[in-house]
Amino acid sequence: MNRSRAILNKTAWAVFTILFVIVLNFFLFRILPGDPARAGMKDPRLKQEAIEALQVRFGLDKPVINCFDSLNPIKIGNCNVNPLETQFFIYIGNLFKGDLGISYDTNRPVSEMLSERLWNTILLIGAGQILSIILGMVFGILGAWKARTLVDYGSTGISLLFWSLPTFWLGIVLLFWGSANGFPIAGKATPGMSSYPLFQQWGDVLWHMFLPTLTYTIIFMGEYTLIMRSSLVDVLSEDYILTAKAKGVSAFQILKDHALRNAMLPLVTVIAINLGFTVAGAIQIESVFSWPGLGSAVFEAVERRDYPVLQGAFILIAVSVILANLLADLTYTYLDPRVQVE
Amino acid sequence: MQTTLQNTSPNKTASQLFNFWESFKKSGTGVVGLYMIIVILILAIFAPLIAPYDESSTANVGISDIYQPPSAQHWFGTDDAGQDVFSNFVYGARVSLTVGFFAAFISLIIGGSFGLIAGFFGGRWETSLMRFTDIMLVIPDLPLTVVIVALTKPSLFNIILVIGLLGWTTTARVVRSQTLAVKSRKFILRARAIGASKPHIVINHILPLVMPILVVQGVLVISLAILNESTLSFIGLGDPSVLSWGQMLNYAFGRGALSSGAWWALLVPGLGIVWIVLGLTLLGQGLEQVLNPRTDTHHLMPSRLPLSKEALVKPLHQNTLFEVQNLSIHYVGEGKAPAHAVEDVSFTLKEGELMGLVGESGCGKTTLMLALLRLLPSAGQIVNGKVFFKGKDLTSLSEEELNEIRWRGISIVFQGAMNALNPVRTVGDQITEAVMKHEPKFPKENIPARVTQLLELVGITADQRDHFPHQYSGGMRQRAMIAMALACNPDVIIADEPTTALDVMIQAQILELLDNLRKKLGLAVIFVTHDLGIVAELCDKVLVMYGGVTAEYADVDTIYNNPKHPYTQELLKAFPDLTKPKKKLSSIPGYPPRLDALPAGCRFAPRCPAAFERCHTEQPALHSIGNNNHIASCHLVEASK
Repeated sequence: MNRSRAILNKTAWAVFTILFVIVLNFFLFRILPGDPARAGMKDPRLKQEAIEALQVRFGLDKPVINCFDSLNPIKIGNCNVNPLETQFFIYIGNLFKGDLGISYDTNRPVSEMLSERLWNTILLIGAGQILSIILGMVFGILGAWKARTLVDYGSTGISLLFWSLPTFWLGIVLLFWGSANGFPIAGKATPGMSSYPLFQQWGDVLWHMFLPTLTYTIIFMGEYTLIMRSSLVDVLSEDYILTAKAKGVSAFQILKDHALRNAMLPLVTVIAINLGFTVAGAIQIESVFSWPGLGSAVFEAVERRDYPVLQGAFILIAVSVILANLLADLTYTYLDPRVQVE
Repeated sequence: MQTTLQNTSPNKTASQLFNFWESFKKSGTGVVGLYMIIVILILAIFAPLIAPYDESSTANVGISDIYQPPSAQHWFGTDDAGQDVFSNFVYGARVSLTVGFFAAFISLIIGGSFGLIAGFFGGRWETSLMRFTDIMLVIPDLPLTVVIVALTKPSLFNIILVIGLLGWTTTARVVRSQTLAVKSRKFILRARAIGASKPHIVINHILPLVMPILVVQGVLVISLAILNESTLSFIGLGDPSVLSWGQMLNYAFGRGALSSGAWWALLVPGLGIVWIVLGLTLLGQGLEQVLNPRTDTHHLMPSRLPLSKEALVKPLHQNTLFEVQNLSIHYVGEGKAPAHAVEDVSFTLKEGELMGLVGESGCGKTTLMLALLRLLPSAGQIVNGKVFFKGKDLTSLSEEELNEIRWRGISIVFQGAMNALNPVRTVGDQITEAVMKHEPKFPKENIPARVTQLLELVGITADQRDHFPHQYSGGMRQRAMIAMALACNPDVIIADEPTTALDVMIQAQILELLDNLRKKLGLAVIFVTHDLGIVAELCDKVLVMYGGVTAEYADVDTIYNNPKHPYTQELLKAFPDLTKPKKKLSSIPGYPPRLDALPAGCRFAPRCPAAFERCHTEQPALHSIGNNNHIASCHLVEASK
């Protein structure tokens, strides 16, 4: 398989996965019993008109999905309905228009609420990922380079400990420590900051980012260290490293020119697989530090039973993770020339 | 068909378990992890005996009891409801373990069956199951869990079910690849051939082989499930009727522990989670180490410095390019007797000379060659002897000084060049690297032409210069290695069976090339080979090694016409001689000795047709025969003197 076909194939699978998530998202919120829009309608105190008004407002007066005569021998659903007027197709149509419904809690459009938060999450995850990857690589390289010495045992031990920390708990501990040492403990900016010059606003945001990013970095650098170390040890015991050594190439140059790129390949895979955990981390960290991102949106939506927001946040998170995963996959294709023939 | 694990006798199973425990004990991390888990298990099982207060007891709790700091009454203080943190912590261990075990059980059943079915049946089953696994792997776990739990009742049962139903993906992948690996084993193929039903084979033959990896995976899945439960509880989706560690943290965090400075209410449950997850991780690592032992050594680890007993400072012989004196190499393993890989080997090499190095596999040839350039793995050490190259003692040089001599003075063609070339750099690029390193003054713009010329020398066309190694055939890689070895016009090439992977025509070309180079440029070659024909045709002298020692060393005519050592004689018998076509070929029965378990006397004695009593008790010394530098280590030689 050549490179362009591999890229095409991977992209097609990402698109398919996104469609799967969209369908899953629709049915989860219709099949599972918890949605208050429907639960509330069963309240005996509500008058018939009120129920109907609610149904129209949330689009629940429409049939869930039409039946396709040929595809559906059991004939579930209403077959005498225009498919475009079912909840399913309205949902799909709205999704493509960027309409994620209206929040139960704030009455604002969900897409509007989430779009400002998406960037905050990307900012936090981006900073945390970059830092943890860099630190993980540095410690992983050190550990492999000084394999079976105190440096190695120390960095491996600390990495295992970091790996075992529950994200939200580390956040709480750092919050405890930070609040005693004058760090901002909540939000993204000091109130009233918007009247200050831009660079001071940015500085304020960075200052607020410190604790969440630190939490994030500690949580993920342990795993990256372990992966980088074992992958580099594997590469450094390959025959071609011995060839390079016999060629008289210095140890540092062997590391730089022969080992790092090869050892990066597993790390890229792990980063891709980790994107799901990354989001899980973001949900916890943002909840602890009240960082106004997608993760705390999930937290607040659960707290307030605001299901449209939860649904929208889930779709947005899942699609971002799938796309980021695709990006990592394509990076791998670029890094490894062997992908061309495989 | 008595090969399955289930059919083994109880004794054998017990000894297998014992062996497993023995190797598990060696990994310190695994044992530490096991003890950490045992502590938690004791805490959970005997909770009513250990906890000083009843579970969630609110009796006699007043407003003044809230967030009381640790004291003699409350070792870890009290929480937001005035309850004893330590007691709740002890009971919380039960919840965490319950969630972990049951959720992991569900995940392992699903992932295990998916992996087994996909791996064993292949075809459409595999495609659809693995595609589904891939999709579920990409969809972020925790948000999906949150959505489902939020939409259903957050009871412990639901939480376990959801975590279990979503946590199987990695298990499916791991089990599938293990199934693929074991399904082609001989006894499974045999079971299929005699018509055993497929379910029977999967359950009785494959499952036992997949089980160990499933256990390792299980340990990791348990820890993930415990982490997930605590996260769910923290987000507010925990079972309100059960006080898990996550729930304790949720209450404390949400009800002012932070502002009241009640660090104990936050620290204690969190440390519990860390303890159990760390314990499981360490345990998993220990088990993994038993399944796939890793030595954790690599080529850039500092090698052991050479030792030398005799303080020789000068080469003994004049006009030699390369001189090896009494070289001995040991492999030192932790807690093991050192392996005497090479013992007391000496030889010399003049300009343009070609020496054959002969001996069966495992006789220390490769170790000897690696030691010449100080390329031994970190366990290997030169314990005695000197290596002189152009009058310099290579055993006393620093790495930097050695790097100047490596490739420029002495280059190596490794055996089996399959992995000797870096897979992510083009072949041309790797040859260029050698030229640039050792000839910094070589005009840059001429390097590509030089590389092309080198490759053409070994029959690789110019357009293949910028190809990657995986685009080459095995023979081409071998030839590319030879081209690379010639790149810096070295004085000596050490070639470890360089032509074994090549077809006869190419082999002849390469040998002719080496022969020409030594005649024209005075290139000296050490040629490791099994092929006595090549030795007879090309070599000036021969070093025959057996079990790490010199069996015989002489010029090529002496070796062929007047071999003194029985091993040399036997080797020659095993080789067809065209002048005496009627002679029967014979092979030497037995194998060379293991280098860490050498016989007491002569190393060849157990296989030697001429061995007598003394051979089994006393090591023969190196005896000189005549004055032609003919050396043999055999008691017979001494006797005939």
